[in-house]
Amino acid sequence: MESSTVETRTQEKDKETTTGGTRKAATVLRVGPVPRIEGHLELEVSLAPSGGAQTVVQAKSSGTMFRGFEQILKGRDPRDATHYTQRICGVCPVSHGMTSALALEQAFGVDAPPNGRILRNLILGADFLMSHVLHFYHLAAPDYIDTTGLLDMSPWAPRPMSADMVKGATAATLVGHYVDALAIRRKAHQMGAIFGGKMPCSPVFLPGGVTEAATADKIVQFRALLTEVRNFVRDVNVPDAYALGGAFHDYFSIGRGSGNLLAYGVFNLTADGNSKLLGRGRLTDGQLSTVDPAAIREYVKYSWYNNSNGNRNPTAGETNPNADKAGAYSWIKAPRYQGKVHEVGPLARMWINGDYRNGISVMDRILARALEAQKIGDAMDEWLNELVPGQPSYTGKGTPVTGTGIGLSEAPRGAVGHWVQISNSVIERYQVISPTSWNASPRDDSGQAGALEQALTGVTVADPNNPVELLRIVHSFDPCLACSVHVARADGRRARLEAVTL
Amino acid sequence: MKGAAAVGAAFGVSGMGVLGTRSALAATGAPRVIWLQGQGCTGCSVSLLNTINYMTVDTLLLNTIDLKYDTTVMAAAGAAAVAAAETNRARPGYVLVVEGAIPTGASGKYCTLWPGMTMHDAVRLYAKNAAAVLAVGTCACYGGMSAGKPNPTNAKGVRSILSGKTVISIPGCPASPDWIIGTIAYYIKYGKAPARDAVGRPTDYYGKRIHDQCPFRPDYDKGVGAAGLGSSGCMYSYGCNGPETYSDCPNRMWNSPAAGAAGVNWCIGARTPCQGCTQPDFPDGRSPFYKLGADGVSGATTTSGTTGATTTNGGTTTGGGTNGTTGATTTTGGTTGGATNGTTGATTTTAGG
Repeated sequence: MESSTVETRTQEKDKETTTGGTRKAATVLRVGPVPRIEGHLELEVSLAPSGGAQTVVQAKSSGTMFRGFEQILKGRDPRDATHYTQRICGVCPVSHGMTSALALEQAFGVDAPPNGRILRNLILGADFLMSHVLHFYHLAAPDYIDTTGLLDMSPWAPRPMSADMVKGATAATLVGHYVDALAIRRKAHQMGAIFGGKMPCSPVFLPGGVTEAATADKIVQFRALLTEVRNFVRDVNVPDAYALGGAFHDYFSIGRGSGNLLAYGVFNLTADGNSKLLGRGRLTDGQLSTVDPAAIREYVKYSWYNNSNGNRNPTAGETNPNADKAGAYSWIKAPRYQGKVHEVGPLARMWINGDYRNGISVMDRILARALEAQKIGDAMDEWLNELVPGQPSYTGKGTPVTGTGIGLSEAPRGAVGHWVQISNSVIERYQVISPTSWNASPRDDSGQAGALEQALTGVTVADPNNPVELLRIVHSFDPCLACSVHVARADGRRARLEAVTL
Repeated sequence: MKGAAAVGAAFGVSGMGVLGTRSALAATGAPRVIWLQGQGCTGCSVSLLNTINYMTVDTLLLNTIDLKYDTTVMAAAGAAAVAAAETNRARPGYVLVVEGAIPTGASGKYCTLWPGMTMHDAVRLYAKNAAAVLAVGTCACYGGMSAGKPNPTNAKGVRSILSGKTVISIPGCPASPDWIIGTIAYYIKYGKAPARDAVGRPTDYYGKRIHDQCPFRPDYDKGVGAAGLGSSGCMYSYGCNGPETYSDCPNRMWNSPAAGAAGVNWCIGARTPCQGCTQPDFPDGRSPFYKLGADGVSGATTTSGTTGATTTNGGTTTGGGTNGTTGATTTTGGTTGGATNGTTGATTTTAGG
């Protein structure tokens, strides 16, 4: 059965929306919960009639599940941050462990020894492979495959439906790959645990490296699994991504978004981090350029925080919630680089590094993600050769009384930054800007919609009761909501929140 | 760059197409499961996907349970997803699984599952018609990381929310897939909850202290610790929570490669202290996770008696070093977390070394 996947709410009175100078009645469509992402997300889009169909004229993405990690971290032993922050997100914990370790290393004044740097890259690489495979088959693919007759049970039915979905033998093949990919992603995690102790949430990350050692036996064990995962990515995932692009070619021109891309870069190839497998950079207004973290500001005009928290660099970041703030609609702040909206993720990384420059769209994001998995897997095989069994992987250093550090790295879904300030040998301030904050942010102080909101705007929805188009755009970003909303608010709430999931 | 030139190639054909031949899940007989996610990180769901010891996740979903609502994997969005949950709530007898903590501050509005439904309300509503309630992960069981000081959202575990209801607690940060599936399988087979300790944990998995099963226990008993953090050996001096933590991690380990096989690694095996993640007072009562000397490598307490600092896990000051003999005297089984710290810590930290 194909039941409605959306709650269509026409508000008391149809919203008046100005489009190109003419006032048209717009239907407000609310989709909540949005499934197959990490966490809780709700979309609210305004649809206007356009040539027999409906087009999104305005989109809002809201994230609201609060824990308050920054407050929880305050006053704790700085080393604990690599473990607490991994619990921000169970899909990309290693990225937080890595970024936290990098920030703390700056504050401690210590570097990981070569084995430690390489082992960290291998554990993180394993998590990237796990996440990218999971995303393509288990989170995104159900938006494109009609599984009727193949998966007629929960949790695959009821399902989103649209006329353009892949059917028949091709659908059966993809569903088979869906199952194969469950084993592949499990093996990627198994691989990560060989050096990471356990997955998800690796206990080995510390400022100064990792506690686990590189032994010949573990290297062999790791390589066997890596080979299997790489083969799957090369022979199944990448071809499937290309085929999906062929079957849904229109999605190369849907969901462009801001057009600006940002990557902090990841997988340090040298101790100083100046050389990375995927380097740091940005594409702003069509120009490739360097990244200066001082140019990052977070805005809060449309977020439930005091306006005094706005327009701050995370080194001075504050998060004082204000649930009753008029006009606000999300708990995600709006990070901007030089005031401009930037998208983060595999496409940003692959574009900035010259690996993929076909375009910016739903399908380009999907293709870049698959190709990035291949690139990372290939590099990991070489990194295994660089490990020297018997050499240390951890350099100890005492906790400083005071210190500051910035960790800039990447999660599978995009750039992640940690800013730490230590006083009296404990954490005084800890700020995180996660990838989904960049991608799913609300409007900023100058009214610019976030990357996802921009990507949703302009898309034509064939059937508002089955807005598969919206799910495809959202999923192309691989959102992680727990990451993006990690701040708490005080008592008091806004009435509207009642209707907002997350 | 292959770029768009390769777009349009055929879908790969190496897949097994296994579902083409597998019959649809018997909607008949398979217990319905409703999985609600509150204040968490999805790490327990991700951990569940790693299952292989008892069964793989495709066997779980296709042939074992009927997963009616789980936003992490379900296809449906919005109202269709909500309808799937609500329709099943009207039919008693399902298994309710809760992942993540339940924020009780601000009338529960810190976490809302769908328009008008807070996590706090959902757990209480869905528990009514549930045949069994499983709390998966330390957040769901006891609040966990989400309830870390200062607990900004007044997050709580399921046991505090559902007084008078039997709650099977499967803690861990994350929970092991075996603990989750083994417990579900027990319930399916016997139609009742397995034996549990005083904080609701199945004793099959959480009946013994890590310390009593640890491969480095003989070293501990001899007063020999690892040479430093990052060296193989007893982690007691570096802040190990093993003496106060109940789980079968030393034997089961993590990320098992095959059915019936032990996992490939575990925390102490990875040369780092146990963080105590299955305990009700994780993380506040279990951290700082490291007790290190000024060099960041040596232990702040000693097993081998070579360094001077003396603070122990339980916060008890002892004479430096341990002989570990009293560790064996601690009883296994039901203890409450808060009490466990102090008590067990004290019994395992007699002066020695």
